[in-house]
Amino acid sequence: MAKKRSTKRKAPRKTKQQSTSRKSTKRTVSRAASRTVSRSTAKRPSKRRGPRSASERVAGLLVLLPWLMKRKRVRLSEVAKQFRMSEEDLVADIQMAAVCGVPPYTPDALIDVFIDDGWIVAEVPNFFTRPLRLTSAEMYAVVAMVRAAQKLPGAPERSVLARAVAKLARLAPEAVDAPIHIDLPDEPHLEDLRAAQADSAELRIEHMNPSTAEVKQRTIRVVRIFSDHGHWYVMADDDKSGAIRNFRVDRIQSIVRTGKVYNQADVASRVDDDGERGWFGSDLELVTLRVRGDATWIAEAYPTVSRTQNKDGSIDVSLRITSEHWLSRLLLRGGRNVQVIEPAKYVDLSRRTARAVRAKYAQPRG
Amino acid sequence: MPKKSPQRSTAKAPSRINAAERMLNLLALLSARTQPITLKQIRAELANQYSEDNEAARAQFERDKSDLRALGIPIEGSVLGGAQAGETAYSVNRNSYELSDMGFTPEELQALQVAAAIVHLGAQEGEQALWKLGAERVNPKIGPRATIGFTDPHLNVILEAISKRAPLTFMYKGEERSVDTYGMLARRGFWYLIGHDHLRNAQRVFRVDRIESEIRMGKGNSYVIPKGLNIAKSVPTDRQMMASGDYEHSTAHVRVDASLVRIVTREFGETAKISDEADGSAVFEVPCSNGYAFRLWLFAMVDKAEVVSPPEVRDMVVRWLDDLAESA
Repeated sequence: MAKKRSTKRKAPRKTKQQSTSRKSTKRTVSRAASRTVSRSTAKRPSKRRGPRSASERVAGLLVLLPWLMKRKRVRLSEVAKQFRMSEEDLVADIQMAAVCGVPPYTPDALIDVFIDDGWIVAEVPNFFTRPLRLTSAEMYAVVAMVRAAQKLPGAPERSVLARAVAKLARLAPEAVDAPIHIDLPDEPHLEDLRAAQADSAELRIEHMNPSTAEVKQRTIRVVRIFSDHGHWYVMADDDKSGAIRNFRVDRIQSIVRTGKVYNQADVASRVDDDGERGWFGSDLELVTLRVRGDATWIAEAYPTVSRTQNKDGSIDVSLRITSEHWLSRLLLRGGRNVQVIEPAKYVDLSRRTARAVRAKYAQPRG
Repeated sequence: MPKKSPQRSTAKAPSRINAAERMLNLLALLSARTQPITLKQIRAELANQYSEDNEAARAQFERDKSDLRALGIPIEGSVLGGAQAGETAYSVNRNSYELSDMGFTPEELQALQVAAAIVHLGAQEGEQALWKLGAERVNPKIGPRATIGFTDPHLNVILEAISKRAPLTFMYKGEERSVDTYGMLARRGFWYLIGHDHLRNAQRVFRVDRIESEIRMGKGNSYVIPKGLNIAKSVPTDRQMMASGDYEHSTAHVRVDASLVRIVTREFGETAKISDEADGSAVFEVPCSNGYAFRLWLFAMVDKAEVVSPPEVRDMVVRWLDDLAESA
């Protein structure tokens, strides 16, 4: 997963305000949203390249048809959206299914599905009424999702989920032994953030900047709350920078409501979900590092522009950095096994950082 | 009798469409029949849908059969005797591929939908499962949502192996490993596989994206998963890593700046806090048996953390810093 992620970054959720207040959005967007977005490309309607294969279409229909028959009448546009298909593909599939059935292929021997003025109608279930069984992967996925979701604020009632899982267990008892576990960090602030979002309540937070360890007060209006790479983030409209930015939730020291209420739709509209650009904005500084041995985690942990394996086993990685502070922290953690190749001004940063931290140890303690 | 299909002409790429149509018709036919039927009979029923050429028709049929099998629909063949001796008759058992009625209440389906939206798998599996269960993908605007990458091509094989209790063989760190797979853990953006490694003859953890080869699956029912195995606890956390070494000092006292006190408290618990200082900083007792993990943790705080004691650990940190400060 990591290898693929590192070179193919999709654009972060760009904000309309970004051009005017880049400084404040850079770090948070770069470390958080990029990953989420890159990994959730499946969320978008598929932009298929080339025609779909026969078996892809059949596979899709065997899921789609029973789903439609259960509902009888659904808007074409909604079905396309739900199944992430283009309306064109969906119409083609429905029209094809409509002429399938058993000999003699008279109307009563065909799959009874048709399109009527923007609606898909499947009122008479005669073929393909039952869905396909769940694969092992699907079964595990559902059980793992439910188990992980149960721990989060906003989750459906436990007893209801438990009943649903018990019904799944009848199909695949082994899935319920829970061999798949999704580990999400516990985060006490989540409940407050969710409640504030639900109430459209503006918040005052104390938030710590990781590289300077400075705590700043900010007034925020929550847009969404998401997890990525083992951390929770809150995407919010931040009055200090005037921009939508992501705050790591575990770096929020305190949360209080200001008493003001905001307009959800208004704030959400400022998030430009469709706006994609090359993730690596040229405004961020590019550095090339050579990592080896126990510092090769650096090549996996962050989005990289390029990555070259050298003959001696070391890896040259180019990545965009958001501040000198951030780089110095990375270099200190990497130790001797990470080396700045360029730009030249940072070649010495590792030594300088080590000296600065060493100064703390000048006075004996203990 | 040829099919009447006014809409057929509107579709593009006729050859592909015909194959999809033919597959659906084949499945409908076999599902509707209570008795197995031969390819000859199938071709007669699906008039003009298979090639007139015997060999080409056989090839088309075999492809349809294998495509359907890949979708989880096994078409069984049985060799006939008597008048049709030697011919194979085909059938499909609906009960073998159709989902039985789950009997979900609307409330339960709704709960599944919401759960799937809160913990979203960045792949098809979660959604496919929802649709099959008759539920929908929903998009709640309020509340926390987690997206878990589920795109590693190895995941499906591993999950299938777990469900079949079939051992897996793959290359890992340059060695061929044969592993009885017990479970998987998603943590911090990575998937881990937990199982019994026959090479080491011990339980081991493998990071899935570091598997260096294709994965081969062995015979099913080859092992049992140990009772009471806790998958989450099988993969050490960063904190456990810091305690999993053989350094002579197992813990160190570290003074942490006020701004980081909350985070460190969350990491190690209130009990790890030894003292609160007047300036808001605090001293924590943290594990340091694993020097490497300890260094990664400590230096993430750059100059906002300082080892106070024991002197040996403090000296070790000073040596690390001196070594780096003097590096060429």
